[in-house]
Amino acid sequence: MKKIFIPFYLIVATIWFSGCQKDLERTNINPNEPTTVQPDYLLSNGIKANVDTYWGSDATMETTLLYIQYWAKIQYPEPDTYKPATTNIQNVWNNFYAQGIADFTKLAELGDTLHNPNYKAVGIIMRSWIFQVLTDLYGDIPYTQAGKIDQYLTPVYDSQRVVYRGLLAELKGAVSIISPADNPIQGDSLLANNMNGWKKFANGLRSRIALRIADRDPEAAKAVFAELAAEGNFLFTASDREAKLNYLTSPNQNPVGKNRETRNDYRISKTVVDRLKALNDPRLSIYAALPADTNAYVGVTNGLTADSASRLGFTKTSDVGAVFTATQAPAFVFTYAEQLFILAEAAQRNLISGNAADLYRQAIRASFKQYGITGAQVDTYLAQASVAYDANNYKKSIGEQKWLALFSEGLEAFAEWRRLDYPQLTPAYTGVLGGKMPLRLTYPSSEQALNGNNYKAAVARQGADVLTTRVWFDMY
Amino acid sequence: MNYVKRLLCLLPGLLWLQQSIAQEIRVNGVVTSRADAQRIPGAIIQVKGTSRGTQSDPDGKYSISAQANDTLQFSSLGFETTFAVVGNNRVINISLENSNRKLEEVVVTALGISREKKSLGYAVQELKSKDISEAKETNLVNALSGKIAGVQVTNSQGNLGSSRIVIRGETSIAGNNQPLFVLDGVPVDNSQLGVGTGRDFANAISDINPDDIASISVLKGPNAAALYGSRASSGVIVIKTKTGKDTKGGMGVTVNSGATFEKLLILPDFQNSYGQGTGGQFSYKDGKGGGLNDGVDESWGPKLDGRLIPQFFSNGEAVPFVAHPDNVKDFYVTGYTLNNGLSVGGSNEKLDYRFSYNNTKQTGILPNTGITRNTFTASNTFRITPKLTLSTYANYVRSAADNLPGVDGRRGNSVTLQFIWFGRQVDVSKLKNYKNADGTDYNWNHSYYSNPYWIQNENTVGMLRNRFLGNARLSYQIQDWLTANFRIGTDYYQDRRKYKVAYYTNGTPFGSYTEDAYAVSETNGEFTLNAKKKLGSDFDIDVLAGANLRSNQFEQNYQQAPRLAVKDVYTLNNSRDPLISTSLLTRQKVYSGFAAAQVGYRNYAFVNLTARNDWSSTLPRGNNSYFYPSVNASLVLSEALHIQSQALSLLKLRGGWAQVGKDTDPYQEINTYPFNQPFGSLPLLTVSDKYLNKDLKPEITTSTEVGVEAGFFDNRARLDVTYYNSRSRNQILLADVSSTTGYLKKLLNTGALSNQGVEVTLGLTPITTRSGFRWDVNVNYARNVSKVIELDADGFLNNYVLGSSGNMQVLASKGQRYGALYGTAYKRDSENRILVNADGTPSVDPSKKVLGYFTPKWTGSINNSFSFKGFNLSFLIDTKQGGSLWSGTNSTGMGTGVLEATMQGRDQEHGGLPYYTSGGKNIPLPDHNATAPGGAVVKHDGIIFDGYTADGKKNESILSAQTYYKAVYSSSLNESAVYDASFVKLREVKIGYTIPASLVKKWGLQAVNVALVGRNLGYLHKNTPNVDPETAFNTGNGQGLETLQIPTTRSFGFNLNVSF
Repeated sequence: MKKIFIPFYLIVATIWFSGCQKDLERTNINPNEPTTVQPDYLLSNGIKANVDTYWGSDATMETTLLYIQYWAKIQYPEPDTYKPATTNIQNVWNNFYAQGIADFTKLAELGDTLHNPNYKAVGIIMRSWIFQVLTDLYGDIPYTQAGKIDQYLTPVYDSQRVVYRGLLAELKGAVSIISPADNPIQGDSLLANNMNGWKKFANGLRSRIALRIADRDPEAAKAVFAELAAEGNFLFTASDREAKLNYLTSPNQNPVGKNRETRNDYRISKTVVDRLKALNDPRLSIYAALPADTNAYVGVTNGLTADSASRLGFTKTSDVGAVFTATQAPAFVFTYAEQLFILAEAAQRNLISGNAADLYRQAIRASFKQYGITGAQVDTYLAQASVAYDANNYKKSIGEQKWLALFSEGLEAFAEWRRLDYPQLTPAYTGVLGGKMPLRLTYPSSEQALNGNNYKAAVARQGADVLTTRVWFDMY
Repeated sequence: MNYVKRLLCLLPGLLWLQQSIAQEIRVNGVVTSRADAQRIPGAIIQVKGTSRGTQSDPDGKYSISAQANDTLQFSSLGFETTFAVVGNNRVINISLENSNRKLEEVVVTALGISREKKSLGYAVQELKSKDISEAKETNLVNALSGKIAGVQVTNSQGNLGSSRIVIRGETSIAGNNQPLFVLDGVPVDNSQLGVGTGRDFANAISDINPDDIASISVLKGPNAAALYGSRASSGVIVIKTKTGKDTKGGMGVTVNSGATFEKLLILPDFQNSYGQGTGGQFSYKDGKGGGLNDGVDESWGPKLDGRLIPQFFSNGEAVPFVAHPDNVKDFYVTGYTLNNGLSVGGSNEKLDYRFSYNNTKQTGILPNTGITRNTFTASNTFRITPKLTLSTYANYVRSAADNLPGVDGRRGNSVTLQFIWFGRQVDVSKLKNYKNADGTDYNWNHSYYSNPYWIQNENTVGMLRNRFLGNARLSYQIQDWLTANFRIGTDYYQDRRKYKVAYYTNGTPFGSYTEDAYAVSETNGEFTLNAKKKLGSDFDIDVLAGANLRSNQFEQNYQQAPRLAVKDVYTLNNSRDPLISTSLLTRQKVYSGFAAAQVGYRNYAFVNLTARNDWSSTLPRGNNSYFYPSVNASLVLSEALHIQSQALSLLKLRGGWAQVGKDTDPYQEINTYPFNQPFGSLPLLTVSDKYLNKDLKPEITTSTEVGVEAGFFDNRARLDVTYYNSRSRNQILLADVSSTTGYLKKLLNTGALSNQGVEVTLGLTPITTRSGFRWDVNVNYARNVSKVIELDADGFLNNYVLGSSGNMQVLASKGQRYGALYGTAYKRDSENRILVNADGTPSVDPSKKVLGYFTPKWTGSINNSFSFKGFNLSFLIDTKQGGSLWSGTNSTGMGTGVLEATMQGRDQEHGGLPYYTSGGKNIPLPDHNATAPGGAVVKHDGIIFDGYTADGKKNESILSAQTYYKAVYSSSLNESAVYDASFVKLREVKIGYTIPASLVKKWGLQAVNVALVGRNLGYLHKNTPNVDPETAFNTGNGQGLETLQIPTTRSFGFNLNVSF
């Protein structure tokens, strides 16, 4: 009897045990989240999350919108004196890398595995846009080793030159694989699933980057415009939808709108109000709101002390216009007006053929049209000597008008102001940079702790990790 | 020869046979306690030198057969063993002395096995029911504080919050470091759910009614707890509940009633010289910037000298601007705890039974906060046949709260935020009518805050937890030496929370409503076989083998109406926006097989072996089975070498080695894609910011422990010294990585952490007299040294973030003590002098620095207790030495000018320097009477920061007090608010009286006991100003940070215990 029983028990035990193994494995299947992802959901998320960062508090309201003197602070004015909060700096970096680079790298991969090159192209274009914003803002950044956690736990920082050149190549590649006729995409709230729109957006970014590096690397800039011409100058036109995200009602409201629901910390900067007034610019009534107590637009000086700012009074100073503070206000990523300003400058620099002055005026008209201003008042405006294009000082003409046109696009305006050095801005009243203005953001402190050696190498190459260090493209 | 041996083995049997033939007599009697004359049930009465024995019944009565020349041995847990020669006595009443002798102690060890303490190769400390129930802490964890060497307890917030307990330091870098709680052999949950929701919910073990506890045994670390497996590396707290057997004297009814009052132990020391405003100016119009600095929520305003200024209550009229020194204090109320319980218990041949009911009603020190707990317990043992016993335990707990205090300094639900950003002139009593006629709130400030009474009364969070704890155990005695046990136990609770934020709350104009529901369960089924045999006369063997199946489930449903459509209606249907909802379900299973053996030699040398194998669902196939053994030994030298004497009553050596494996949380293998709130009609999925690990291996903690126990002078001096050393490797850490990898965190499996330490307990009985006076001193000392050895295998990572507040982080930092406080520091020159900026403010170093460690260097306590004829008095002093705390309360309060410490330099009286301002620069004046050129205003609040300029000159730039304190205590400079967290606290004073049994009997009662208890009475010493150094945000590992805490409390209680 016993002899029979021992093998029997062994068999039972083995069956029981393998049953247990299966049971254990089944138990550890996560029932809460999928293990695979479909591209349209990922695209929708990537656009929403990254435009939120691009238009949100950390990258704009508390930093670039103040530096570029579109906005000023009337409460908690520390950031307006060039003391950015470490959390703001950290959030911009983390959000763009961990949400943007990660999501769009995955989307590009899905394009390959699902044999839909359009998704791959969109993934690459969005990722390139994010890298461009990051390098504009910080200078040298992890690029070639970024977003590859399996290979690189501590990615090296690439020089800004390498980043821009890499982006130009990636964008060119992305444009080449787009096939507007087939492989439709979904979930695109930036360009409404229009692959031609994506092609134009990518080409627009190529032209933007080309000008960004034009002072440093004129040959490369020239090559980009030559390529674009060879590809047929397929760029945004007046009738195209621009690259913009139309926000919805709560909880998907515009970040500025969301801020205004509960806070009252910001006003329009005195610098931009004064400039618009001086130019009799009809955009004043759009960019600025009337104060509760007065019938005149009053901007606030950047960098006031807490008590002098608060003494100006909430009801006696202008907030930014409702077009920007509305719940459903759009966030602009790339506008037709900007494309025209780029072409104007490219023409001026002989990177393309064309009449720079004419393109400059078209750019201003496009900006006016963006805010619904058309007709005689545009002509009157353009006829002013103060607006007329000055080919001898094109950086001033384009710099000042582009600054006005990019109002509220803090990141792009901050980059272009640094490159063109116009308009000439006076540092914040109690700025802490010894009479200088910020020329970049500092790296987040997490990089010191988590990617220390590469951080140190980047700082050694680029210069001290302070706001006043010039990034590579900022030659003058 | 063989024949002779066998014969010798039979000899004891033959002798017994011979004895049993001799003349037997029946001896009866009662066993009582000498200290309080209480009858002792369950005392063991044995005929010395034989295996014959009996137990006293619930009335303490016994009856045994013996012979005239026999000696009876009386023993009971906690009493000295006493002998009596039978002689011609037919009645032997014996009263037993309380025991000093640790040797005789029987303690509850792993799996609820009772063992003689002398047989154990590791340190174990036990608390008895009296220590726990009289302390009247509503959170059980607090009752352990200061009573056990090496145990550290940290309270979070006020008197309703959570408490964290850690034994022998942290063994896991990232995981749970709190011990496992086991109630009658079944693990019970001690989670703190809802961390980060702005409320400090009490940890779940606080559901246990202290009156139901018979004993708590603290198994410190792997050596003692290896049999519990995965969760034993942080130690185990083994709770034994009372049964009918514990009822003294037959069927007993015990009524217990207590009342405790809780008052603030500490409140920041506020200044009362300057009121709200900035730059010395303030005038109220609308409280949000319409007037002169009336949106400002700081106290850098005008002097509180009765000058006339419009204020929030004066409708624009200028009224005297005066101090209200107790404005914050007056907002707090006295909390009370009413505790009423009843238990009925008894025991007979077939049945032990105990039923208890307890009602605890506790109110907080913040208005309109409190919790009510009802506990029902039934504990029964049925002796179905002499061999088959069924024990059941069922405990139902209902905890209900209408409102719990808000924490984290959130504007919507926390009042501590606005009291540290405050106008010192604000008369809080004028805020009591908090609502205007139109339903909006009436307050001193409308820029940032709602009225504090509004917060307490309108923005409430309710909680309802229904919990069932139960187990059933079937025990069958197969042979005299072999027992089989089957036990099934469960801990199940549902916890529903409702968060209300009212319409018109500042920052949330439409209010919000959230429901958060949890269902948590753990079920354990366990089968064990236990064999006990004597091998020859020298060896005792006790072997146990068993299997356990554990299954855990956790469920959460969270739904929020982010903006209400209609005010004052709190339902999820009432929403302007789509609901925000998440649901989460996690499940976990662990199969285990285990075995343990104890071999004893001549009752003075013991070897214990354990082995366990776990199969956990949380680890991948191939790595999910892990085995770990332990061995320990003890040798009672005093007995082995026969050197026991009056002077050396005990000498025992012990030592052991143990290993414990630990699994992880569910779903840590495969990366998944989290959902985000849909964008209109577009669903959103994102790449997770955590990169998981499909090759996870179990964490392994290896621990060595040696110790010595000694008793001197008839055990009037008792010393126990332990040294331990543990090392944990393969630690599973969700480590922060550079976000440039595309992820914020990566799950690593390579962390290593070591701990070593010494624990000393010293017991002294300096005086004990025949008349019954006794003085006991118990000293505990523990020192733990931790070191983070490694984080990732490649050495890229130097820091793991345990917690943070603003810039301040708590780290496990490679090569350092666990719990480094890492933050922004003063910039210093090569001579370590603080540098200043061009404007004279201190310069901040761009690199963060380690500013201290939250882990203390050592902890200790001393308890003195005096007893005399039913009276007892004890006081417990408790200390932690050498840790640090970053205090956000101090940092903020200095910057906002509300703290008394900001008076220094603020005016001429307080040492301020004279200066005037010209062209944005402060120019010093020679004295306070000097006039400034051009008629500029002379100011008297100048301070010069004690530092050096970059070119090595002593700083001479003068700052206004406001600028000075804002710069030094800015949120971007942490160093100024890091303090030494050492303290010495008078933890507990207890006075008790047991009315003599003789008197009580006349009243028809069994026993009456009254006690007065004071807890957390005061600091004898501390170095952290304005706050309790013993606080934290929650029970996680990110300790050592404090900001805007609800102050801790001191309590005074009265307890009455009557048995019928």
